[in-house]
Amino acid sequence: MGVLDLFRRAAAPLSRRRSPAQKEELFDDEFQRKLDYLAMVSKRVFTGAIRAERRTKRTGSGVEFADHREYAPGDDFRYLDLHAYQRFDRLLLRLFEEEEDLSIYFILDNSFSMGFGGGAKLKQAKRLCAALAYVGLANLDRVAIVAANAEISGRMQSTRGKARIFRVFRFLERIQADGPTDLGTALRTFVAQHKRRGLAVVLSDLYDPAGFEHGINVLRYNKFEPFVLHVIDRRDKSPPLRGDLRLYDCETGEEREVTVTAKVLERYGEAYEHYLEAVRRFCVSRQVSYFPADVATPFDELILRVFRRGGFLR
Amino acid sequence: MELTGALPGLLLQVGLGVGAAVVLLYILKLRRRPIAVPFSRLWEAVLKDKESTSLFSHLKRFLSLLLQLALLALLLLALGDPRKKVQKSEGRNLVVLLDASASMKAVDVDADMARVLAGDAPDDEVRRECQPGSPELERARELGVDCDCLWMTPEGARLEAESPSLRSRLDAAKDEVRALVAAVGGADRMLLAQMDATVTPKSTMTNDPVELGKALAEVHAVDVRADFSEALRFAKDALRGLPKAEIVVVGDGALGAVGSDVELGDVKLSFVPIGASERNVAITAFSVRRYPLDKSRYEVMLEVANTGSRDEDVELTLCGDGLLADVKHLHLAAGESLSRFYPNLSGAREKLAGRMRLRGGSFDALPSDDRAYAVLPERKRARIQVVSPGNMYLDAALLLDEYLDVTTVAPKQYPAPGEFDVTIFDGVNPPVAPKSGHLFYLNPGADNVPFKVDKELTSDAKYTVGFDEVDEKSPLLRYLSLGDVHISRAHPLQGEKDDKAVGKSFRGALLLQGRRQGQKFVALGFDVRESDLPLRIAWPLFVLNVINDFVEEDTGYISSFTTGSVWHLPAPASVEAATLTLPDGSERVVPVKDGRAIFLGDTAGFYALASGAGSAAESSRFAANISDPGESHVAPAAELVVKGVTAGTLERFTVGVQPEIWIYILLGVLGVSAIEWLTYHRRLTV
Repeated sequence: MGVLDLFRRAAAPLSRRRSPAQKEELFDDEFQRKLDYLAMVSKRVFTGAIRAERRTKRTGSGVEFADHREYAPGDDFRYLDLHAYQRFDRLLLRLFEEEEDLSIYFILDNSFSMGFGGGAKLKQAKRLCAALAYVGLANLDRVAIVAANAEISGRMQSTRGKARIFRVFRFLERIQADGPTDLGTALRTFVAQHKRRGLAVVLSDLYDPAGFEHGINVLRYNKFEPFVLHVIDRRDKSPPLRGDLRLYDCETGEEREVTVTAKVLERYGEAYEHYLEAVRRFCVSRQVSYFPADVATPFDELILRVFRRGGFLR
Repeated sequence: MELTGALPGLLLQVGLGVGAAVVLLYILKLRRRPIAVPFSRLWEAVLKDKESTSLFSHLKRFLSLLLQLALLALLLLALGDPRKKVQKSEGRNLVVLLDASASMKAVDVDADMARVLAGDAPDDEVRRECQPGSPELERARELGVDCDCLWMTPEGARLEAESPSLRSRLDAAKDEVRALVAAVGGADRMLLAQMDATVTPKSTMTNDPVELGKALAEVHAVDVRADFSEALRFAKDALRGLPKAEIVVVGDGALGAVGSDVELGDVKLSFVPIGASERNVAITAFSVRRYPLDKSRYEVMLEVANTGSRDEDVELTLCGDGLLADVKHLHLAAGESLSRFYPNLSGAREKLAGRMRLRGGSFDALPSDDRAYAVLPERKRARIQVVSPGNMYLDAALLLDEYLDVTTVAPKQYPAPGEFDVTIFDGVNPPVAPKSGHLFYLNPGADNVPFKVDKELTSDAKYTVGFDEVDEKSPLLRYLSLGDVHISRAHPLQGEKDDKAVGKSFRGALLLQGRRQGQKFVALGFDVRESDLPLRIAWPLFVLNVINDFVEEDTGYISSFTTGSVWHLPAPASVEAATLTLPDGSERVVPVKDGRAIFLGDTAGFYALASGAGSAAESSRFAANISDPGESHVAPAAELVVKGVTAGTLERFTVGVQPEIWIYILLGVLGVSAIEWLTYHRRLTV
């Protein structure tokens, strides 16, 4: 039993205290220990020991130098870098990063397709969401979580501080796979409800009949910084199907009759890979952070890969 | 090409039915298994490619239907057993009549045994005796029977059956037929039938060696004469309309004359002779009866015959109830037949058996006719009530039979307590009380009797009263004569229309027999003390005959039946079936009709018949013997002549390889089905 677990048990009302045997397996002691470890690693590697402020992309009145740019008429003379002028004979303007606390929004896809095949994708998405939320909370960022399918089906208000992780857990535990996917519609509602822009982490399998691009574009067009965590279950690539079948979509109920042969399965596998490649190419071309998260990979390893890859913490 | 299997009409019907079912199954749309997928859009690209080939899929489906119909057609063709006409016409059609009569039990086919029978070798190697320590002797001790008579018990018969036996003519005949079956060609067909008192087909007309082998194994020899005429009729019918028809008789040829109605026509007759020796002695008759006056004693009549061509010294053994009763030594000249009586025997209660064997340890060819069996008639205890003021002659006559329970009462004390089978009224005629049984009147009065009593008839100087006319065939007068009986006084009796006057004087009946409402009566119209009848041996015989007639003790009892005929065995009329226990201990249910159980017996030995259940259960024993001198003549015939035509020898079969086309068709169907199955599961054709 981890320290966090002890704390949670002590803080919980008596009627809600549960024995370890009854505890939800999704966020068990082992998971919580790994969260502590990941929070420490994120600080050591990326931010140092300073107070964990996040820096926005905006340059402004901060004290920390960020970059130079060419002087343009109208700029404030005070920020001209005279040393650079003397050395390079160019007028360069010094830019400082403006420090502010960052809002991180976790948009968790809870459509039927996420629960397909035993719910491995939804479980992995929840764990990744919890882990990243803990890192964000540990860095004193504002963390909010919404569950989205064809609409916003659940919402956890923004919160700060490590101690709020249990609220995150409880919210995530309540989320069930339900309804069809329409990220475009859902995220339009999301951006309308959240005026404060920030990092929008989309955890989804992107099985959106309307097209995965719509949801991401909605975030982009509304000044959010999308971070796509593409939850992938490799079993979707090679389903154990053979013979004359009537396939129906678990979300839309759309049916197709097909005789599945080895050749058909091979073509399906190719189509699946093309789909993944299309998602990756779309995100890269739009400078959207994209990270494939296979359900077969342990979540802590995935988090470390996210840290190394960058895009989540700056 | 011609179809020799199922008829074309039948094949057409089956083909239409199954073909319609196949087409229907193809027309019906396959119900596909519903499977959920997470994102059906991913399948669209795949399915678009598939749609472009849907026309080819339909074509493949149609080709698959055509393939199934073609397979069906091939299977039907295989069922039709197609053959080339030339091949079919070459085949022979045989009916093999395998002789399973009693003479086929002769054991003269082994070379060693043949030498023993010919007197060229000692018989030590084949002789089995009750030597000290032998299992036969031990078993006899356990059963408490004489060792020499052990064979007449079921256990002894089983012991002999389990011991190694010599090869019989039937075994040799089976070997011949087995070789015949092995040589039968693909176009030939054979039907195997067992020939004994009846003809029993053991197989169909086939060339399947397995079926013929099984049929051959079912053939067994029985103790009866073969009905050759019936067998030929059966074979002729079985071969009617078939080309190259041939009847093959396998046996020793001792088959007797053929009926005049048997015509072979163009059917070929072949004969495979079996047997080597003609040396044989037999018991050809065996019967036993109890003495009428002393039923505890009995006499046995035996007839023995030497059917061989050399003189024989034989030892004749008689056993009663498992104990040795008598041993006789006889000399039988070649072809001689002798009768022998064993008078005044006692001791045995039920079973009697005779056995004959050659002296000096020699053997004859047919052991089964060296034995004969008989069952003594069962004794019943009769309850007799004598209503008499006293009659010494009557009392003396009743004392002769120890199986009579006699109760004597004075006329005033009639009736005595209890139930009786017979009541004798001696000079009195009281009203008949219930439970008196059948009635025997001696010198009756005019009252209370079921007949009329006429005026007294007295002997005088001109005429002596006596029996002027008697029914000698009446069972009442069996073994006795009343012709010269002198009677002082008598009363002629007048019965009704159905009554029978067994003995008459010229004035009327003196001995009357009749029945009233199921109750029998016999009346003697004089006092025996006023005649010389009591001084004659006829008097007690007459009294006992009357009583036997009343209690239905069958004086015409058959001590043994003859095998090969239909037996009508006495059984209760109230039952419809009875259980017959055969000599080997097996049981068989036989029908009972009009109080007779009907059974065609084919085995010599002791039988037991049981019927009814509980308190109504009844059982009886009887015996059966071969008693057929014809079957005891075991000399094998060198040739078989039927209606002046001599049967030929069996021609060798033309061994040729005839292709069974249906096998190749079936293999082709299986091959195509296997390929289709593999390609289907590999999804190459779907």
